[in-house]
Amino acid sequence: MATEVVLPMLGITVEKGKIVEWVKKEGDSVEKGETIFVVEVEKATTEVESPAGGILAKILVPEGVEVPVLTVVGIITEPGEKFSEEDVPQAESPSSVDSVDSVTMVTPQENAPMATGPDGIIKAVPAARRMAKEHGIHLQDISGTGPDGLIFAGDVEAMIAGTARPSDVRASTLARRLAEKERIPLEQVAGTGVRDRIMRQDVQAFLKESETTGTPLGTVIPMSTVRKVIARKMSESAFSAPHIYFFTDTCLDPLLEFRSVVLPGLEKRFDLRLSINDFIIKAVALNILDFPMLNAQIKGEDIHIMSEVNVGLAVAMPEGLIVPAIKNADRSGLVDIARQRIDLVQRARQGKLTLEEMERGTFTISSLAQYDITHFTAILNPPQSGILSIGKTDEKLVMEKGQVKVKRIAQIGLSVDHRIIDGAMAADFLQNLKWKLERPSITYLTV
Amino acid sequence: MYDLAIIGGGPGGYVAAIRGAQHGLKVLLVEKDALGGTCLNRGCIPTKCFIYDTKLLEAAKTSQLLTGIEALSVDLNKMVARKRGTVKTLVSGLEAIMGSHKIVVARGLGELTSPGRIKVHPIEGPTREHEARHVILATGSRPLVLPFIKVDGHFIQTTDQALDSENIPEKIVIIGGGVIGIEMATIYLNLGSDVTILELLPDILGTEDKEIRLAMGRLLDQRGAKIHLKAKAREARIKGKEVEVVFEDHSGKMVTLRANRLLVATGRAPVLDGIESDRLGLETVGQFVKVNSRLETSLPGVYAIGDLVGGQMLAHKASAEAEVVVANILGGNREVKPNLVPRCIWGLTEIGAIGLSEEEAKAGGRSIKVGRFPFMNSGAAQAMGNKNGFVKIIGDAETGEIMGVHILGEHATDLIGEAVTAMTMEAAVEDLAQAIKPHPTLSEAVMEAAMDWNSLAIHSPKR
Repeated sequence: MATEVVLPMLGITVEKGKIVEWVKKEGDSVEKGETIFVVEVEKATTEVESPAGGILAKILVPEGVEVPVLTVVGIITEPGEKFSEEDVPQAESPSSVDSVDSVTMVTPQENAPMATGPDGIIKAVPAARRMAKEHGIHLQDISGTGPDGLIFAGDVEAMIAGTARPSDVRASTLARRLAEKERIPLEQVAGTGVRDRIMRQDVQAFLKESETTGTPLGTVIPMSTVRKVIARKMSESAFSAPHIYFFTDTCLDPLLEFRSVVLPGLEKRFDLRLSINDFIIKAVALNILDFPMLNAQIKGEDIHIMSEVNVGLAVAMPEGLIVPAIKNADRSGLVDIARQRIDLVQRARQGKLTLEEMERGTFTISSLAQYDITHFTAILNPPQSGILSIGKTDEKLVMEKGQVKVKRIAQIGLSVDHRIIDGAMAADFLQNLKWKLERPSITYLTV
Repeated sequence: MYDLAIIGGGPGGYVAAIRGAQHGLKVLLVEKDALGGTCLNRGCIPTKCFIYDTKLLEAAKTSQLLTGIEALSVDLNKMVARKRGTVKTLVSGLEAIMGSHKIVVARGLGELTSPGRIKVHPIEGPTREHEARHVILATGSRPLVLPFIKVDGHFIQTTDQALDSENIPEKIVIIGGGVIGIEMATIYLNLGSDVTILELLPDILGTEDKEIRLAMGRLLDQRGAKIHLKAKAREARIKGKEVEVVFEDHSGKMVTLRANRLLVATGRAPVLDGIESDRLGLETVGQFVKVNSRLETSLPGVYAIGDLVGGQMLAHKASAEAEVVVANILGGNREVKPNLVPRCIWGLTEIGAIGLSEEEAKAGGRSIKVGRFPFMNSGAAQAMGNKNGFVKIIGDAETGEIMGVHILGEHATDLIGEAVTAMTMEAAVEDLAQAIKPHPTLSEAVMEAAMDWNSLAIHSPKR
């Protein structure tokens, strides 16, 4: 009996994934649990294991195509079993409808260039067919956004809502190529060519306007997948977790001095440069050991205190913020933390992080130290319960034992989920962290 | 009160008149001579008549198949008569079209007295003044003659006289190796004259791609034309029944030539009869009327188009500008992109070109690729028996933008039309390669050159 290979649910917020590589090709034999394809989600790649042993009889979604999770992407047959096209789920098959609306599968016309199969049947997922039928909409009027023009329920919804994109934006080849290169949505470009066809100069004018004035006023920008995920996570966090905020001035002179003392030796020995963030990550991880509740996550009615201390570092990317986490920061030495950080940040920029690296964090540090920002409040990275916000370091006059002194001060903020962390505990956590950062020789003694 | 008054009824002026009338404007067209201007009466059309007539003679005389060709000759009177008949047909056709659009054609010299006011001075009868909301100056150009040369019309001619001459010079000197010089040289070579060309610049057809220039130079050379490059004409005088031309050759040596005729083809100057630019405050660039990209002059409501504004002095450029001006008068905002104006030359074989030459494209600093296809490899050209030619396509290596197309060979002037359309529509080189071409036609050569741009030509050895 044939087994369907589906694009797995890769995370609570993950809606779609792109198969970047089929490790197994059609006709290859595959073991259960063996990597069968590699999927890219939220700019991270994950290997997907085969759900069954047998022969990969059919690949339904080629490399480079983004499809919703739970889409059937391939078919595995048992050894010796003859594969027939009938084993492929048909578009009209009611059994393939599942609870997640619009998420179903692809009909099996491989390499079909249009949304219409060789038999003239328009390719659409069952939910889309049903919705179209209910609303008396002809599928041929809808421009599918799936692979090979496959129509999803969302496309029908867009049609109903009147927000469907015109199925055919008329633009010259050179205009299309420029728009593609500059990532400009052609739908927003006004065409000045014959019958308002979009010419290259129109795209150039659009570009120029965007460059001089930022995004032109009055434009509508469809959210990218990444942006949608961020938007959902941020509102989920802001509206479900009541935040409370704490700030403290932290003198960084001892830490900066400490770093300058240990840096040359470490640099020579390990060929890497410890950043001030590496020290903060370590101090935070050690502090979490003293306050395990800051490593907790709410799951249903329970508070789970996570077994690993993985400290995430917010990295700003053009597409949006991502937070790769340093694994076991409490048990890792400064050099190991620095190594992990350098590697993670570099791969974040290349879009080569794994989903695990982005989702394993149990506490987050967000730093705007390079900006002229004294302090800021951070939104928790769900399902975490604590996030540290670091402002710039300034020279300040401080009274100490009746003497005026100049000290380098950074304002460090803490946001916590007030559902499970009380104000006193949060204050205690931050105060202790300050203590650790101001006494580096004691804090990092065991390193 | 007219909506639109146009001075000059050439391919700029008459197109503006028709287009304006089509959009409901009340149009006045002032023409002092015949409709159609230089192009129809003394330029494009007459020379093409002569080119095709003399080409027929040349083809017959050099045929490997026809017999009895030794005695072949051409009746020059009939050739001139055919040309006159052709011009007459076309001019009367234009007059009919004007009439059908109810365009008022005023015969006489048009004078722009002030913006919106035009005086027409007919050859006979009283002068009349007209008012118009918009005025288009389209007075064209006339041959530019070197100051020390006196055109007598018989021994020393410009194209104005040459196209009505009823005898063939045994020996002719042509000053100017530009488009006009080369086309006239072709006519005389086909008629059997001994042709010498004096060109001031380092090469003939200076605006064209180097490969095109080389190929045309080679053809002229094969046909016995003598070409002197970097040659400065110094003197021209009539001596008895001959002309004596003195020029300084590339090495600075003075050379004297004797010929039956001298043709001066040293370019063209704008016609400003009736347009007193100083008094009107009309700004100029050199001799030419200054216009912006919308073809507006410095005077309100006054536009200028065609040879009068300089640039490429081509009939179709003037026509395109005419359409643009009318569109702008009607509230549009169009302009003519010089890069999309094709250039055609009817030489010993044809040249059709558009856009940048390879040298210009390289100088622009962009990364380019060149696709080529020789007529030699074209079934159609082989069947036609004329395999001398090639198609060359220059494209931006990154975007596939077609930057220039250069075609040399039979029907090149027609073939270039495809490149014009492709470039105007902003097609990429790959678009040209994907269009299906009828077989066996020369148009396949354009497709093959586009394929070769990606090293994918079918009828070329692996490169």
